[in-house]
Amino acid sequence: MKRAFARRFALAASAGMLLSIWGFPVLWALLTSFKTERDVLAYPPKILFEPSLAAYRDVLFGASSIVPNLVSSIILSLGATLLTLLVAVPAGYALARLGLPAKRTSGFYVLATQMLPPVGLIIPYYLVLQKVGALDTYVGLIVIYLTFSLPFAIWLLVSYFEDIPREMEEAALLDRAGRLRTLWYVILPQVRGGIAVTIVFVFLNAWNEFLFAVVLGGNRVRPVTVAMFNFISVEQTRWASLAAGAMVAMGPVMLLGLIAQKHIVKGLTVGAVKGGGRR
Amino acid sequence: MTAVANAPGPAAPAPAPSPRIFRYQRQERRFALLLFTPALVLLIATTSAPLVYLLWTSLMRIDLTMPYLSGFAGVENYAKMGGDPRFWNSLLLTLIYTSTTVVLQVVLGLSLALLVMQIPRGQTVLRIAAILPIVLAPVVVGLFWRTLLLSPDFGLVDLVSRTLGFGSHAWLGDPQLALVSVIAIHTWQWTPFAFLVLLASLASLPPDVFEAARIDRANAWQRFRRITLPLLRPAIVIVVIMRTMIALSAFAAIFAATGGGPGTATEILNLYAYRTSFTEFNLGYGAALAAVLLAITLVISFLMFRMRRGR
Repeated sequence: MKRAFARRFALAASAGMLLSIWGFPVLWALLTSFKTERDVLAYPPKILFEPSLAAYRDVLFGASSIVPNLVSSIILSLGATLLTLLVAVPAGYALARLGLPAKRTSGFYVLATQMLPPVGLIIPYYLVLQKVGALDTYVGLIVIYLTFSLPFAIWLLVSYFEDIPREMEEAALLDRAGRLRTLWYVILPQVRGGIAVTIVFVFLNAWNEFLFAVVLGGNRVRPVTVAMFNFISVEQTRWASLAAGAMVAMGPVMLLGLIAQKHIVKGLTVGAVKGGGRR
Repeated sequence: MTAVANAPGPAAPAPAPSPRIFRYQRQERRFALLLFTPALVLLIATTSAPLVYLLWTSLMRIDLTMPYLSGFAGVENYAKMGGDPRFWNSLLLTLIYTSTTVVLQVVLGLSLALLVMQIPRGQTVLRIAAILPIVLAPVVVGLFWRTLLLSPDFGLVDLVSRTLGFGSHAWLGDPQLALVSVIAIHTWQWTPFAFLVLLASLASLPPDVFEAARIDRANAWQRFRRITLPLLRPAIVIVVIMRTMIALSAFAAIFAATGGGPGTATEILNLYAYRTSFTEFNLGYGAALAAVLLAITLVISFLMFRMRRGR
């Protein structure tokens, strides 16, 4: 009995220690964001210190405020989410349920597009956007965000559409409800949860995007990820402000991640479960 | 209220056997195409078309610092790679970076999942801690590590290292340490992915198999080797495939932490293609480098999917 307890305690302790390796850097950044710049550089590092909001004041209202970047991120992420859902919901339904011609090939194509490394696509994007004068515009970047959000969203939605009992749509169709009306009034309410999860993931990925934004954005379109990067290259040692900025910039996604934590695993492996050859 | 939009058209010519079913199927196909086409068009426009354009660009001489030299170059860009040590260096680094990070993630993630499975309570807390790194933007993770964790004198890792008697180091300034550091950063951020996926599939394994094995007096290692591992194989393969793809397209975290440096010490193929295109403005050669990266990704994913189907 005693041995079992000791074993359990050792297990819990080692798991707790290993997992704090993930939690601690974030916690450390949170602590740092409440320090003054002077306390940040104190040695030995101060665990107990007088909390200060100076860093938050600086990043929100100071000269290099990240509020405009937050707005930029919100426009980009909302725009990408909206456009993605608008296209992915019908496509996911067609792929999951309807007699789409060349269904297998289409599904595989959607999956394959997800594998292209972004660095491979950025050069053509840059050249094309430059030609049509769409560098540093929201529309240009939002359409390009479809590259990673659309295949992902379609596959995630397919997995939810497949869970709906077929009888429901058959009954609606027998009532001569029309296909579009069936989709809107019968099918979509059934996948509300799936659509919510998709929205969370698409928004999260768009919010965290960096490479496309740094190359194709500019003075007008500059999301928080790019702003954070510029912050460090300009102001090397202002860590409290950096940490505060990171907390503000990453607050929304951390919140979303916690809200959606039960669905994260499904979102992480979407496509892999089905797309690899079964079906 | 009756549906107007999709009412069967009057002019549909009826084939011989059971015309209503045929008409129904044709109507369904039409509807399916209607729903799928916007996505297909957008996907072609944002992925396949740029891909073709990339291959075309890789055959051109486009150097924005020397625009007067622009023109068709044939395979010149590709031929240049053979004698470019920086290219071979980046290729080697890509292989090292990808293989080490993937192996580390799977081994650490699996060990942790097995460990956590033994703990009856508190799994939710652990899951939340594991989700944090995953939802952070890689560029922010790279910045965190570069400043708060790895900076000499003030960084947390440096403090720990000095306390343990390993001394202070230029974690991102020394070429070899820098490579280790960027591998550690990637592993830190993405091991939770392997952990969560493997934990979920561990939890879904049938418990009676383990019970039977225990009654048969199989020891822990035998149970792991003969039961757990084979049952987990599909999940492990999925994790390996997905993580390999992500590692091959890794960019932001390294870019933020080292920018590919010092020198070219952490310049994986992604960063070399980026630097060539957007720091040195040699878009033609950058496109050729990106095309090589694409080809590598395609070959590896093809091999992995075949491996998965074979099993």
